[in-house]
Amino acid sequence: MPYPYHQINEKDIKYFKTVVPSRRMVCREDIKEEYFHDEMPEYGVYVPDLFIEAVSKEEVSAIMRYSYENNIPVTARGAGTGLAGGATCKYGGIMLSLMKMNRILEIDNENLTITVEPGALLSEVADAAKSAGLFYPPDPGERTASIGGTVITNAGGMRAVRYGVTRDYVRAIEAVLPDGEIVNFSSNVVKNTTGYALKDLVIGSEGTLCILTKVTLRLIPAPKFTWSIVVPYDEIETCIETVPKLLQMSFIPTAIEFLETELLDIIERHLNKSFPHRSANAYLIVMFDAVSREEIEKMTNEAAKVCIEAGAQDALICNSDERSASVWSVRAAVLEGMKADSIAQEECDVVVPRPRIADFVKAAKNIGKKYGIRIMTVGHAGDGNIHTEMLRDKHLSEKQWKSNTKACLKELYALSKELGGQLSGEHGIGNGRLEFLEDFIGDRMYRLFQSVKLAFDEKNILNPGKLITFEKTIKEDVLNDR
Amino acid sequence: MKIIVCIKQVPDSASIEVDPEKGTLKRTGHNSKTNPYDLFALEAALRIREKAGGIVTALTMGPKQAEEMMRDAYMMGVDEAVILSDPKFAGSDVLATSYTLFQGIRSLGGADLIICGKQTTDGDTAQIGPAIAEHLGIPHVAWVNSIEDISGEAITVLQKTGSCIQQSQMKYPCLITVEKDIFVPRLPSYKLGLATAKRSVRFLSCDALPDKNMSCFGLIGSPTAVERMFPPEVSDVREYIHGTPAEKSDRMFELLKKRKLI
Amino acid sequence: MNFIHFDEAKCNLCRECINKCPFQALTMGEKGIEANDACRMCSLCIRTCPREAIYFEQKAGTVDKSQWKDILVYAEQENGHIHPVVFELIGEARRLSQNIGYDVHAVIVGAQGTSANAQKLTDYGVKKVYIYEHKEFEAFKADSFAAAVTDCIAMLRPSVVLLGATSLGRSLAPRLSTRFHTGLTADCTKLMMRENSDLVQIRPAFGGNVMAQILITDSRPQFATVRYKVMDAAKPVPGFSGEVVRMKVTDDLTASRIKVCSVKPLEKKKQIEEEEALVVAGRGVKDEKGLKLLRELAESLGGQLCFTRPMVEAGYGDTAHQIGLSGRTVKPKLIITCGVSGSIQFASCMKNSECIVAIDVNPDALIFNIAHYCIVDDLYEIVPRFLERIRAQKEEL
Repeated sequence: MPYPYHQINEKDIKYFKTVVPSRRMVCREDIKEEYFHDEMPEYGVYVPDLFIEAVSKEEVSAIMRYSYENNIPVTARGAGTGLAGGATCKYGGIMLSLMKMNRILEIDNENLTITVEPGALLSEVADAAKSAGLFYPPDPGERTASIGGTVITNAGGMRAVRYGVTRDYVRAIEAVLPDGEIVNFSSNVVKNTTGYALKDLVIGSEGTLCILTKVTLRLIPAPKFTWSIVVPYDEIETCIETVPKLLQMSFIPTAIEFLETELLDIIERHLNKSFPHRSANAYLIVMFDAVSREEIEKMTNEAAKVCIEAGAQDALICNSDERSASVWSVRAAVLEGMKADSIAQEECDVVVPRPRIADFVKAAKNIGKKYGIRIMTVGHAGDGNIHTEMLRDKHLSEKQWKSNTKACLKELYALSKELGGQLSGEHGIGNGRLEFLEDFIGDRMYRLFQSVKLAFDEKNILNPGKLITFEKTIKEDVLNDR
Repeated sequence: MKIIVCIKQVPDSASIEVDPEKGTLKRTGHNSKTNPYDLFALEAALRIREKAGGIVTALTMGPKQAEEMMRDAYMMGVDEAVILSDPKFAGSDVLATSYTLFQGIRSLGGADLIICGKQTTDGDTAQIGPAIAEHLGIPHVAWVNSIEDISGEAITVLQKTGSCIQQSQMKYPCLITVEKDIFVPRLPSYKLGLATAKRSVRFLSCDALPDKNMSCFGLIGSPTAVERMFPPEVSDVREYIHGTPAEKSDRMFELLKKRKLI
Repeated sequence: MNFIHFDEAKCNLCRECINKCPFQALTMGEKGIEANDACRMCSLCIRTCPREAIYFEQKAGTVDKSQWKDILVYAEQENGHIHPVVFELIGEARRLSQNIGYDVHAVIVGAQGTSANAQKLTDYGVKKVYIYEHKEFEAFKADSFAAAVTDCIAMLRPSVVLLGATSLGRSLAPRLSTRFHTGLTADCTKLMMRENSDLVQIRPAFGGNVMAQILITDSRPQFATVRYKVMDAAKPVPGFSGEVVRMKVTDDLTASRIKVCSVKPLEKKKQIEEEEALVVAGRGVKDEKGLKLLRELAESLGGQLCFTRPMVEAGYGDTAHQIGLSGRTVKPKLIITCGVSGSIQFASCMKNSECIVAIDVNPDALIFNIAHYCIVDDLYEIVPRFLERIRAQKEEL
């Protein structure tokens, strides 16, 4: 393991200046603070030694070739909207921004695909698809994310219930390997049994295997109508227990989200935003897409019937943009509301089999109580991805908060595992959940992960110290040698 | 207490363009919905009914298809829905529309309180409410932000007037137009939809109105005429302001002043 | 004046209206009740008639346009001051009246202090300012204010009546136009006068996607409310002095069925999404002094100071005032960014603003790709003088 890494010096900078003009290169002391962390500074703040903005795969390739030869760590970065502490220079080195590679290269109406560079924003890709009369379904909520970032982290989002996640929409990837070679993973084909599905391995690899320079994404025909229903319940249990019933309908809903009334109080108090219904204790919000009015009405009626039979008070219909906005804008304000209502937050992004959501939510509340931490569960009930937010109130000291959240997280992860779930549903491992991964997946699987990493990046220079580490193994090896 | 809410069906799309040759409107999509501002009026009426009792009637002037909007109003909880529908009403401007609605209110035996949305998304005039009040000879308060009190005899409301907030009280009968921050409108209820599926929507034609003088309705009764429609000019300025710092700030001041932004 | 009509079939000649008319404008004629020129359109008779036999009507094509001339401007008062839109209305009215030989008049309704405000208007080329001053006109009441302005219109017979498209103007104007059974065009952004005295009124419709050109060809007066901050404000006319005409305020004019309980200055802070003007502080703001400067600028523009994400992280502002990534999306009429580089995330959340002014030292800053007015300079050099000029302008008014 070539570690410690080479420290960037004048000579290196001189070389990089032959690759990219100096106006696209910033040295350590002048690098803006926003590049020290992603959306979760809690998961690490690190200063890069050199910040470079690449504009072509050739530049990326040249930078990688030199870094490979000289053992310099490189972390690729998109819009920096990640929630796992992933796109940061944990061991210094180069932060390679791909945001200037932001062209939308082609929309292929015959093949229903769009080909883009990684720095294009998700919103730009979605809009480009829309203006071609097509639809790019993945919507992880943060629409200013870079498309490359969403691919390399396999971003999810609430529409996964019907449409799946980013991985389901990636046809082909062009990427630069750690040694600088430019390769293509799959091509613009619908089927492919040509050996190992490395494309799918690269998706969600969090920038530890290669640097994405171009991606071709699958599009689908755009739905003409999108309606939602808001379903009020007396009890949170009845609310969540409806979810599996909704999944047995004659069609698949686009999204199923759930909200506790306590969160609505918080949002009203801090953000002055009111939900159109306030007298229930828990709510499901169910979204449908359809191509005709008749179809969407049929869907709405069927879902409403299912919910009421399952014990809901009623089903309230959002059949216009304004009505949908009055509901979804409140759902979107959840995170901001919780931030305003507490002095610190920690998040658990587990995913469990959908019939076990209710068990998880109930047990999670009890775990929180045990450690004096306020726990709010929100999220994607339709796919089992429960965002379990831990909120720090004033009575906890910094130290207590740190140790209690850690203990809390450990129990939550154990609970998820027990229920047949996974550690992270859509935010990824990055740096923030690194310490919990090995325990969760087990030793054998962890070593398999390490082997994959080394197969791509035997020098461990691409985004080192994220997703997996070798430190512990090294330590153990050392111990064994003794 | 008798409350009438005046609502309107509007196209469900903001993407409306002018046909440059004909000068007429091109409406993309053929779906319609309740004017979003009227949902606030309906909500206000339903909350008042919850507090003070009474019945809420939704009233509109429009084609047969407005029945769909009235079904939606039933699902929100109104008690009665009336559509003033007659080919003779076509081409109505503010005066003729407000007159027709006034006639409709008369034929329903009047109301204690009439509530309108602040404006529509297609016309944007915000004039129908006060005009109805004038036809009826009753007082009105426009742009109501909140309802402070409601009693058997009077309503007390708050309204923003520029930099002030004014509290006013009116005895019934009276009219208010409500702002969009007054309440979050409730959503139509599936259960109420089932319960009201068989409830009828009343249609009133011109013949059913007290005034049969045709010069007050439709195109003939409309003093304003739209001479032409045209797309708005798009200005795409991009200007670098040069000079000494003082010159730059002066130039910036002049430019913004000219555009009446300061 | 031929607005009041009697439905002979309904009228039973009970004389109730004749007795109630405050202007003695109704008489018993040969065919029934008739209205004479003393009528002030107060509409009391219509409300009084037990048989609903009286109505307003102006029949299409019957108006004699020559009987209606000049332009009347409604001089709205706010907090005891003349609303600035009034000067714009006067400026526009003067421009419209030039080719057709009309005079510009104004009508002002209010409580104590109204005369002093009326006097101010006479310097601006307004021939006559009609004052309705009474303690009952302290706060705006749509019905009694309508009665007062109606009194003035019925007496003056203007061809055009202009009001500001303010919340007050848009509440008052429809009552007036309805009373005169004529047309009103809301929220005009452009006006032109034709030779035959028809006013061409242009206004945005369908949320601004379409402009509509509207005419009122067969009835008078022609009412229009005019959007604030669109027309050029009138300047004083040297040597010109208009006349102030004090109008008689009868009980019928002050009678209102609206009781104003209180008028308070607005305290509730707006969310930044609702503001018309925003100033944004970016990383180019180095210290508290700069922050204070920008806050003063925001206040003088009547808006709020917002921040970029790094500034919020550095503790200068809160997330409720953060624009961009994980913050708010805004589209005010005016946004001035100071020391903001303009990352994509920031830009995507404010680029739909109507007018973007960017001040930043770095000529390559991304913000200049979307700004309408670009100033490559240090904000500390530009803002103080700019602020000074805005303040000087305010004092002028």
